[in-house]
Amino acid sequence: MKRTIVRAGAAMLALGLSATALVGCTAAEDTGGPTEITMLVLGDKPSNGRLEAMLEQLNERLTKQANATLDLFYIEWADWQTQYNVQLLSGDDNVDLITTATDWLYAWENAEKGAFLPLSEEMLQEHAPKTWAQVDAEGHWDLTKLDDGQIYFIPEDNYTQYTNHGFFYRGDWATAAGLPNGEVTKFEDFTTYFTWVKANKPEAYPWDVALANESALTGYLQGHTDLQTIQQVSAGNYYPFQTSEADPYTVTSWYMEGDELVEAAELARKWNEIGVWREDALNYDGDPREEFYAGLSGADQHHTQTFVTQIVDNMNKKQPGSDPKFFYWGQENGNFFKDILTHGAMAVSANSKHPEKALEVYDLLRNDKEDYMLLNFGIEGTDYIITDDGKLGYPEGYDSSTDALGSNFWAGRMDEYELSKVTDAPDKEQIYAELDAVAKEYPYSTLILNKDAIDPTLAAMSGVLSEYIPQLQYGKFDDPAAAVEEMREKLRDVGYEDARASIQADIDAWAEARGLD
Amino acid sequence: MSRTDAPQRRKSLIKNISNSRMLLLMCVPAIAFFVVFNYCPMPGAWIAFTNFNYTDGIFGSPFVGFKNFEFLIKSGQLWLLTRNTILYNIAFIVLGNILQIALAIMLNEIRMKHFKKISQTVMFLPYFISVVLVGVIAFNLLNYDTGALNALIEQTGGDPIKIYSAAGLWPIIIILVHLWQSTGYGSIVYFAAIMGIDRGLFEAAAIDGASAWQRIRYVILPSLKPTFVILLLFSMGGIMHGNFGLFWNLVGNNAALFQTTDIIETSVYRMVLSQNNFTTSTAVGLYQSLFGFALVMLANWIVRRINKDYALF
Repeated sequence: MKRTIVRAGAAMLALGLSATALVGCTAAEDTGGPTEITMLVLGDKPSNGRLEAMLEQLNERLTKQANATLDLFYIEWADWQTQYNVQLLSGDDNVDLITTATDWLYAWENAEKGAFLPLSEEMLQEHAPKTWAQVDAEGHWDLTKLDDGQIYFIPEDNYTQYTNHGFFYRGDWATAAGLPNGEVTKFEDFTTYFTWVKANKPEAYPWDVALANESALTGYLQGHTDLQTIQQVSAGNYYPFQTSEADPYTVTSWYMEGDELVEAAELARKWNEIGVWREDALNYDGDPREEFYAGLSGADQHHTQTFVTQIVDNMNKKQPGSDPKFFYWGQENGNFFKDILTHGAMAVSANSKHPEKALEVYDLLRNDKEDYMLLNFGIEGTDYIITDDGKLGYPEGYDSSTDALGSNFWAGRMDEYELSKVTDAPDKEQIYAELDAVAKEYPYSTLILNKDAIDPTLAAMSGVLSEYIPQLQYGKFDDPAAAVEEMREKLRDVGYEDARASIQADIDAWAEARGLD
Repeated sequence: MSRTDAPQRRKSLIKNISNSRMLLLMCVPAIAFFVVFNYCPMPGAWIAFTNFNYTDGIFGSPFVGFKNFEFLIKSGQLWLLTRNTILYNIAFIVLGNILQIALAIMLNEIRMKHFKKISQTVMFLPYFISVVLVGVIAFNLLNYDTGALNALIEQTGGDPIKIYSAAGLWPIIIILVHLWQSTGYGSIVYFAAIMGIDRGLFEAAAIDGASAWQRIRYVILPSLKPTFVILLLFSMGGIMHGNFGLFWNLVGNNAALFQTTDIIETSVYRMVLSQNNFTTSTAVGLYQSLFGFALVMLANWIVRRINKDYALF
């Protein structure tokens, strides 16, 4: 009997293994021709043929320059949150270059879990010399090292953008609502704005927001505290650990301490009563941005970059006279950050069969002007034109919603090769200058946290937060103060203090090693 | 087993196999399916006991014992998820079977052939509607701002109901939708069983002067008992599995409803979705399988005690 079981087990194992082997067989053979380098890209794969046309031209160049060709592998927006990590988990050796980021694409986690190939200095110097020299000159390699001292990805450190979040709203409606200059200057002013929209624009929601979201809370918290979020550690979709600017080496949490969360929740409750959002926003899955463009929503929420590159142009075209404006979280007290230099980054897959070639291709895409222009803007004349005043414009009849190139190269853009676009906000430079004058540098770019020890606690905290925060954000509790107290109690029960202490110990060690106190 | 018996047995086994080779051949696709999709992935459950990293893979990653299960107990989610999952399934199984039997009997009683066919088709249809669509329909019916139900209530002078914040209503809604979707389809097996009842029994009952109700009570229902028990045991096997698509599409990520609508599958899905956490979600999945296995064994044991012939094994 025992033998039968063993045999059956062996047979099953053999079957499993042969299935895996079969999958393995499909990998491309080296034929001596140009090496195909596949880059994992986030975004919706365009189907208008423009990408393919561009790649054809780009690949002609890459073949000559590096005997390589480029192919793009898309993880679509609809399922990136599940597919991105699953793709890395699968150990797929068909991908060579991986778009990553430390603040939204789990770069540290994936580096720790071994998804990325450690890049030696020699390797970078030899195969990506221009990139190496540029990042090295800025002293930015330290931002990409784990505590083993190895480099795990290449930062997009030479591209200026602001990714601090806030509300987009309409200046024309804000003026009518009686706000001085039609401008919101502090978070609570939105109560006036929303109330006016509710009363005067019956076809629109003051803020037609969909699904779980916490910006009504974080927007308030950022503007009413000096707390700064530690981006290296999340509990699910939530970032529960902060330090204060006044005391940057003591870990705290705006979910746990202070009265501001209750104040924010009270304000959200007021907004809920006004009818700022749909009663069932948590189950509504419409597209808030499209509603905003259509004049059916008084506000939308995203970052400066989106405002500058999309909102202003689209609103001016679709809602002429709407005078689109942006209020960013922390605007009233200057509590916001410059974009971190690893908001975009490029890693080489640990399973890549041609890591050196992959680096060579990346080096060209990032540093060769013609390759860069092709990949980022497409073919001149069909995808873009250069206007008389030297701006990047679009040919007659071009419609960005259907004609976009969609190459989504967010892991090596360079200011040097970027042109002002005709669709950019006219006061873009002024907006950046104003932000630059106040924004803080993110202080913990080089901090590595040991999360192994606290993973189960973070998972449990995520469970608690995902139950309470969306309800607080949408003002669904009759007694927000009691709900916050209840949530805090539960977070303590699942081990918040232990997690905090563990992160504190890591920060202490990090600060000591750098002589900070 | 003695040595001398073995060749004899082997011979009869070979004979048995050759006698039923067509039947066995017909089983091959099903067996292949279960081997590939249910047995081959089994070793992957090991990931639940590791601190997984890509480099070392499932079996090379460091072993961490039950650490990945800790959070379930810590957060109190274990009890909530188990309770919700089991209660929903009990409701699905009990109410589902009762309705399916009732429907099969009613169909059997209908004499007009065309009406019978039409009603059967109509009751069948919901089963083929995608749950995604069901979710959209439900939202359009039930949502507060523009939902049809609330519009009706308001027009008749009532106060609209905040259905998507009322956790207490959702067990009823989910069960109703589930029954609406599955009853027509599920009734086929019972209908077929009724068709298979010896006609002589009905004739005998008619001669004895049995009323329609008595015919149902004393002929049909007892004949459906074995079918009922087997279906019950089958559904016990899935008692720890909710109807994920239905729950996710009806409730989604609505935190206000978790207390009464969160089942193991939706929780696991959220975990992978938001936490990049394969180990803890596998841990939950493993718990689900083991607990389900225990339940099947228990149910089978109980059935065995009542009537040996009805037990699965």
